[in-house]
Amino acid sequence: MASVKLTKVKKIYDNKVVAVHDFDLDIKDKEFVVFVGPSGCGKSTTLRMIAGLEEISDGTVEIDGEVVNDLQPKDRGIAMVFQNYALYPHMTVYDNIAFSLRLQKLPEDVIYDKVTNAAEILGITEYLTRKPRALSGGQRQRVAIGRAMVRDSKVFLMDEPLSNLDAKLRNQMRAEIILLRQKLDTTFIYVTHDQTEAMTLGDRIVIMKDGFIMQVGTPTEVFEMPRNLFVAEFIGAPMMNIIKTELLKEDGEYYVRPFGVKLPVDGVKGERLKAKNAAPGEILLGVRPEHMVLAKEGDAGAIPCRLEVNEMMGSELHLHVYTEDETRMIVRVPTVGLETDQREALVAGAKLYVTFEGKVMHFFDPASEENLLNE
Amino acid sequence: MNEHNEKRHMGLKASTRISNTVIYILLILMSVIWLIPFICIVLQSFRVESTWQVGYVIPRQWGWDNYIALWNSDFKRWYLNTFIIALFTAALQTVIVLCMSYTLSRFRFKMRAGLMRLMLILGLFPNMLAMIVLYRVLKDLGLTQANAVPGLILVYVASSGMGYYVSKGFFDTIPKSLDEAARIDGATRAQVLTKIILPLAKPIVIYTILTAFMAPWGDFVLARYISFGTSSGMNVAVGMYSWLQLDQIGQRYTMFCAGGVVVAIPVTILFMCLQRYYVEGVTGGAVKG
Repeated sequence: MASVKLTKVKKIYDNKVVAVHDFDLDIKDKEFVVFVGPSGCGKSTTLRMIAGLEEISDGTVEIDGEVVNDLQPKDRGIAMVFQNYALYPHMTVYDNIAFSLRLQKLPEDVIYDKVTNAAEILGITEYLTRKPRALSGGQRQRVAIGRAMVRDSKVFLMDEPLSNLDAKLRNQMRAEIILLRQKLDTTFIYVTHDQTEAMTLGDRIVIMKDGFIMQVGTPTEVFEMPRNLFVAEFIGAPMMNIIKTELLKEDGEYYVRPFGVKLPVDGVKGERLKAKNAAPGEILLGVRPEHMVLAKEGDAGAIPCRLEVNEMMGSELHLHVYTEDETRMIVRVPTVGLETDQREALVAGAKLYVTFEGKVMHFFDPASEENLLNE
Repeated sequence: MNEHNEKRHMGLKASTRISNTVIYILLILMSVIWLIPFICIVLQSFRVESTWQVGYVIPRQWGWDNYIALWNSDFKRWYLNTFIIALFTAALQTVIVLCMSYTLSRFRFKMRAGLMRLMLILGLFPNMLAMIVLYRVLKDLGLTQANAVPGLILVYVASSGMGYYVSKGFFDTIPKSLDEAARIDGATRAQVLTKIILPLAKPIVIYTILTAFMAPWGDFVLARYISFGTSSGMNVAVGMYSWLQLDQIGQRYTMFCAGGVVVAIPVTILFMCLQRYYVEGVTGGAVKG
């Protein structure tokens, strides 16, 4: 158990490419922090710098108050699970898990206890005598986790540990990681490109792009109050709908006019716009697909659309619609509230109306792409 | 439909059988042609009725005379010299080649690519070109003629780092994440090499040992040059060559054949013991395939 502090950490490769820019982050003891972002955003590089597998070009990494920049990986008190498992193929599962303990020259009976205990927690006891090649992907990943577990490390690092598993197994392992975290009760740093994993696992999420931190916050914070357009689009599935429109101020009240339909910005968002005294003008309006609702012709604020694709997801429909000016939007409709005739009417080419409330709106500056409501 | 499939299956089976038969006949023929000289040498080595070449293959009188004569000649010394040279060269060269290959495969340092290119270019020049210089250097060090054994070991081992290509290529195929996992588990670089990489690279380690042993075992040109007519510094190839001179071949021909058999024994044993590792693939299951 330990805190991890990164101060102005920078990674510059030999070819002068800057992979990570001035990364500042304080990770508290026993916190589960997830680094998330698209490929090449520097999340794995940052994790590898914490692990000691990548040289730190500038800045400091502290683990439990000690600067570890010049320490070997083995001396940093960390354990790591790799994306591709990285199991030693010539050793049995038992020997794989026991490898680090043998290097520490622990007595064999202590090693036996630790390995069997970890195997029991992970449900791999019956595979201890097998070689990695005789295991399935999920079992191999458990062995990799077991290998990290027995080290009793201060910080647990995971580099996209679920990305090689199929969707069903990934969901199962995700739940198991949550349970594992409860059992180990230690500091976790987890890297993923999957925002669902980030949202479900992390106490805090660090969203990265091109080597910069875009936002650090709890899953609720980043979902409800994205700092910029990138975070707004990255977090949430399907992606947030972005509409180019204008912000109006009439008699002290704020309005937006997407596709010529005037909608009041009421509720919390309206209050905050007023408090910030936001300047009217061109904005990018963000509305999440689940916050758009189907409306009827003639309803106040109903935006006319044409349905192009209807994706049946089971509990909900993802409707890909086009407005009159050919802007594409996605609307998420729960199937539970739909009558059969309503559902049958949702076919390609159908005309429908959507609307949304002021409290679900997000406002971004078209130039800086920053959220207008940022503190 | 089923009948059609069955016929097709039968047809395939028959054609496979014919092609297999042809392949096996060819292979047997090639093996026989390839083995005849060896069989002849073995048979000649047991011939006792004459020490000179005769017009038949199967000896009329069999015996160990040639082997006993070998034992009582300088051959013993040459054999020991060769064995010492090959053993030391195999051990030292294997260590150097594997360390060099691991370094070039895993470390990134300035001039790494330049060094590899330089070694490749140097390797293209025939060894003969360096012979005069080598002789001069070894002579100044007192490592020629009677002291040719350490001299030859030095020469063979000195250039061994340049033979990194094959093993480096193999090491490159072992995922680097295994090194990283081991380093996080607490292994030093040396432990990563000995406990993770080398067990996974068994075929290439065996290949390195075999080639490092075989090259000095059969070397003639350099060994003859460095030993320069001094019997106590010769290896078997150089020593036995002296038996093929006109004044000696009459008395030494069958002894020469016996020597050939004795020289082949350790190499054959070594190869038989180690060859199964050549084909053994051990990397399955390391990382997500």
